[in-house]
Parts: sequence; C-alpha cells; structure tokens
Amino acid sequence: MKKYGSICSLLLVMTLCWAGSAEAAKAIVIDGSTTVGPIAKSFASYFMKKYQTPVTVSESGSGNGAKSLINGSCDIADMSRSMKPQEIAAAKAKGINPVASVVALDGLAMVVHPSNPVRNLTESQIADIYSGKIINWRQVGGASFPIVVIQRESNSGTQETFKELVMKGRQVVNSAETQASNGSVKNRVSQTRGAIGFIGLGYTDSLVKKVSVNGVTPSAATVNNHTYMLARELFMYTNGRPAGMVGRFVDLPKTLDGKRIIKELGFISKY
Amino acid sequence: MNLGTRKLLDRSFTALGIGSIIIMGLALLVVLVPIVSNGIGALVFRETVEHRKLLLSEFHRGDAGDLEKELVISNGYRQKAFDILAAFDRELEQMEPERQEVYRESYEQVRTALRVLLGPLPGEELPELTRFRYGQTRWDKAEEKLHDLLYEQKWDYSNPDVIAKPNDVSRASIFAGTSLVRLFPYVEENIDRMMMPQWTIYWGFITDSSLDSHFFGGIWPEIQGTIFLAIGAMIFAFPLGVIAAIYFTEYAREGFLNSLLRSANSTLAGVPSIVFGLFGLAFFINTLHVSESKSVLAGSLTLAIMILPTIIRAAEEAILSVPKTYKEASLGLGSTKWNTIMTVILPAALPGILTGGVISLGRAAGETAPIIFTAAVSVGTAIGLGDVLSSPTPALSWNIYNLASEHEAAAQIRHVQYGMVLSLVMIVLLLNLSAVILRARISKKLKG
Repeated sequence: MKKYGSICSLLLVMTLCWAGSAEAAKAIVIDGSTTVGPIAKSFASYFMKKYQTPVTVSESGSGNGAKSLINGSCDIADMSRSMKPQEIAAAKAKGINPVASVVALDGLAMVVHPSNPVRNLTESQIADIYSGKIINWRQVGGASFPIVVIQRESNSGTQETFKELVMKGRQVVNSAETQASNGSVKNRVSQTRGAIGFIGLGYTDSLVKKVSVNGVTPSAATVNNHTYMLARELFMYTNGRPAGMVGRFVDLPKTLDGKRIIKELGFISKY
Repeated sequence: MNLGTRKLLDRSFTALGIGSIIIMGLALLVVLVPIVSNGIGALVFRETVEHRKLLLSEFHRGDAGDLEKELVISNGYRQKAFDILAAFDRELEQMEPERQEVYRESYEQVRTALRVLLGPLPGEELPELTRFRYGQTRWDKAEEKLHDLLYEQKWDYSNPDVIAKPNDVSRASIFAGTSLVRLFPYVEENIDRMMMPQWTIYWGFITDSSLDSHFFGGIWPEIQGTIFLAIGAMIFAFPLGVIAAIYFTEYAREGFLNSLLRSANSTLAGVPSIVFGLFGLAFFINTLHVSESKSVLAGSLTLAIMILPTIIRAAEEAILSVPKTYKEASLGLGSTKWNTIMTVILPAALPGILTGGVISLGRAAGETAPIIFTAAVSVGTAIGLGDVLSSPTPALSWNIYNLASEHEAAAQIRHVQYGMVLSLVMIVLLLNLSAVILRARISKKLKG
C-alpha cells in the first residue's frame, strides 16, 4: 500500500513539473457569438495548419464573449454586434481596451417553414408579428395558421441587432419562444409549420425558407450593395491593437485565403 | 390467512417482479439499440473513393498506388459526366438570352448538386475549406445527394390559403430537349463506378483529430478531454471525500456544527449542475484566477465540487458498514485510533468507497453544464498533459450538444454526433464495469 502511494505521488509531482515547463506554445482562446462561430472555427483550422499555433473556439453568445474579454479570460471575443457603452466602460475599469476588427458582413435572414406560402414581409409587418399585433399568417397573405414567433436569448448579438433594426424600441411579445443559437432557431423553424425566426445568412439552407424583406431577397449580393436592410457587421474584439499571432488571426479576413473562407461559408467579405 | 391465499400472493408478487424486470430490460433496449446502431455508423460504413482520397491527402493513410488506379477508373466515368456539362455550356451560350434565362438558375442548381456529390468540378478553383474539397465520403450520404441531383424539391404555393406540400420534380424533365438531359440517367447508372463504395471500419474516428470543425476526421480530442476532466475531478474529489467521510464517522462529535456540516453536504448533493458551472466560472476563473481562460483545471475543480457530496456519502456508508467488532478488536489489542482507521477500517471499507468513487467518475465524464463555462470549447486540438493547467479542451458531452444544436451544418454530420454519443456511453459503461470488477476483486481478497 505504502509503495503504491509513493509511486502515485511521485507521478503527480512529475506531471506537475512537466506541466510547468511545457507552456511554450500559448493557445489563442476565442469566445463569443454563435453567428461568427463558423468563421472562427474555419479560421482556427486554417491557422493551426499554417502556423501550428493552437486555437480554441467556444460559441457562447456575443454577450458572454464580451464578458470573457472584460474578465481577461479570452484573447478574442467574437461579436455579432458592436460593444455597448456600458461594456466598454466595464472593460476600461478593468484596464482592458477593447478594439474592434470587422470580420465580415452578414445579413439577418427572416426564415419560415418551407411549406409556408408567404414570400415577402415588410419591415412593419415583421415588427407587428414580433410585437404580437399580427398573430396569424392570413393577416400577411398566407394560409390561416397561427404564427409561432421565435427569438434569440438576451445574450445574443443577433437578437440585439434585430431589435435595433426592426423593433426600434417596441417590445417582443411575451409568448415568443427563445432559442439559444442560430442552429437551434433553424432546427425549430424547419420542424414547426407556423414558425418564423431570424438567423445569420451563413446558416440558411434548404431546410428553411428565406423570406424577402420589403421585396428584397436576402443574399450576398443584396447585402453587399446595401439594398437588403437587415445587415450588420461581424466583429472580433481584442484587448488593444493586437500584436503577434492574435494580430495575424484578426487580420485573416483581409488576406486572400481569409476572404475565400468567408465567401465559401456564405458570409460577405468586407475587404 | 389460509395457505391458498398466501401462495397466490407469493406468485403474484413473483410475477410482478419478473414483469418489472422485463419492462426495465425493454426500456434499456429502447434506449441502447438506437444509440448503438446509429453510433456504430460513424465507425463502420461504406466509404467512397472520396474518403480514401481524403485519408491519403489529409492523414497520409492508405496506399497511394491503389488509390491512383481507382482514381483512373473513377475519373474515366466522371469525365463523361463533365463532358455532358461542357457540351451543355456550349449549347447554353448559343441560345437566345430569354431561353438562357429559363435554364440559368436550374443549371446552377445542377452544378451545385454535382459538386456536392463528386467534389470540385473541373476548371474550378480548389476551395479553401476542406469540407468543399471532396465529394461525399460516405455512400449513404452520396445516395442522398444523388437524389438531390436527380430531383428538385418543389413546394406548391399555387393556393395561398393552404399549407404547401413538397413534391419531387425530376430535373431531367426541366431540361427536356437539351443535351443536359443525358446527364441524369448517366450519373444514376454509373454512380457506384464513380464513387466505388466499399465497407470499411474507420478506426480513425476514435484516434484522429477532427478536420474542418467535425466534417471529417475523428473525435480523439473530445475523448481525451473527457478522460482528463473526469480523472482531474477524481484527483481532487476522491482524497477530500474520503478524508471528510473519516472525519464525519470517526472524529466528529454530535453537535450543532456537525449536523450543520452534514446537512450542508446533503444540500450540496441536490444542487443543479448548472449552478456548479456558474459557480466555477465566478469563483475559480474570475475570482481565484486558477487559469487565464477556461481550462481543464478549472473544469476539474468544478466537477470535483459537484461529485464531492456523492463520494462523501458513499464513503461514509462504507465505513459505517464495517462491523464494530473489527474496530474494538484492533483497539483492544492496543492499536491507536489512527492506526486502526488506516489498517483495519479503511481496507474493509475500500470496496464500498471505490464503488462510490467510480460511479462519480462516470457522472463527471457525462456532465455538460459544469464544464460549459469552465472548460469546454467547440473546436480545439488534443491537448497534452502539460497543458491541462492552462488550456481548455473539447469534451464529448459538450460537443454532442454543440453538434446537435449550434453547428452550422448539424444535419449533414449527424453520424459524428451519434458516434460521439456512443463513445460517451461506452466510456461511462466501461468505468462502471471496472467498478464492479474492482469491487469483486477486493472483496474476494478481503475474504480470502
């Protein structure tokens, strides 16, 4: 028994020593938006292959990304909205200087179940649906079917952008269902006939139907020429102007390979 | 009560017992069969030539010569399909603009479907993302995508008052009268010669790292992260738990403080795991700064706190079940209290303590909520032992959730998700099985 004990403790000490010495290759830690997630993950794979620097990506929402950056527990915060003044103040109080780098442009697509005959909604119709004034698809030219309103959680940058661009101060109806990520909104809408939700353009596929807004179909082209109104910039926030590997990472969207990755994922390159 | 009634009662109780065991067995089957049958699909499947291409160029596995020969044959068949495309390209150019417009969009869909099925078309730039560099690597997926190439799913919106129903429209009928019409029967007939499916067991699913956010490759970083987290939690919780149990059973005097501690322990056992997760974030990472970011260390500490009450309880029960006579005999022979605990009580209680420990280990491996904010990431490399203090890690439980809900292409990589579920169930099952065996061995030794 004693023998085993001493062997175990010896092993533990050895591991700890090893752990102390092997901190050379420091990983880049990324946290934040699920919308920016696909870009961050693809950049991470590309970066690990090219520079052999480990990169980890978590997708916990824009709000959590900002909090992580403020607490100093991530190097890059992915955000699908810009930082709010109180977040910047909180960061400044902790000695962190948040600097935004634009990753890409993204459209916010309004999606419905593919069986829904509605093709177009106006901005005010969407606001009416989300504030509970319109409750049946018949009221917007569809079949007689109750509308299931799906929104994102308060932590989401997509939700904030939607409120800012569409709701303009109006409250989202209490009966709205809340989903925690772009993927789960898409899932829910693809399985619910009367559902309506909003997701990043990069997440849309044939499982859901994109509706045009004010007569403009959401696509890379309409976002790029500013005719589609539900568009926003996606950011990566860092502490100060980043140097070294982190700097290289946030500058990826400006490189040729970075632009191609963004395009292949269905986002729109800004540069 | 007469004898007849007694017998009847006895029989009906036996029947009830057997019945409930059968129902439990069925429930287990209902849960396990889909897990195993779906999960095994990640390991054993019909791979296409695209998969062999992927393995050779991304993982340097397989025979280059054999693949070369296969590719020559496969490309021969593919080339004919590409020739049909090229012929239609020329035909399209010579059409009047209005007719061109009719075909343009459908043709683009055909090209996309063919690209998804076979990989990049000739003359196109090699995509940057690995997921677009290869065609379908699995035969079951290839058959699905073939259907997408042959048929277009259309929704009938002609009557705005009813919910539309989907119907498949053959793409060949859209292109009737053009040279492209030949493409569809040709691809349908020759798909197995283009893809060359064969059964394979892809062990790399367990030992490889994932490629391009789980599109290809395996789940080794997740498995390793799960093991690190569970063992890390044990390293902290097991000694603490056993020491606390010894204190409670042997040293603590009954009193206010002691009952307070005991009820605190019971309360801790009932706290939801997400609360532990948030506590771990607030305490270990934001207050104590055990690591700069999420890390295996922070996750292990959080999990350790979560499983501590269970370990204390199990160890307490085990120590209390040691017959009092053992202790009295030892003390009667002049041994000290400490010596009695170390040499008599603990060895006798060891089977019970270990069982509790290993069951907690299984729980630590399977929990998601405590590691969301403290340790788990959706993409990351397999970390070495040296990085556990500072690096976060992917872990099975969290990545299953991530693939099920957040991943941008969740529907396309279900097999990876199923494979992860099977691996996690297997790990937990193996841990519990080893607990049973360990317990049996130690009890035998003690009796012997």
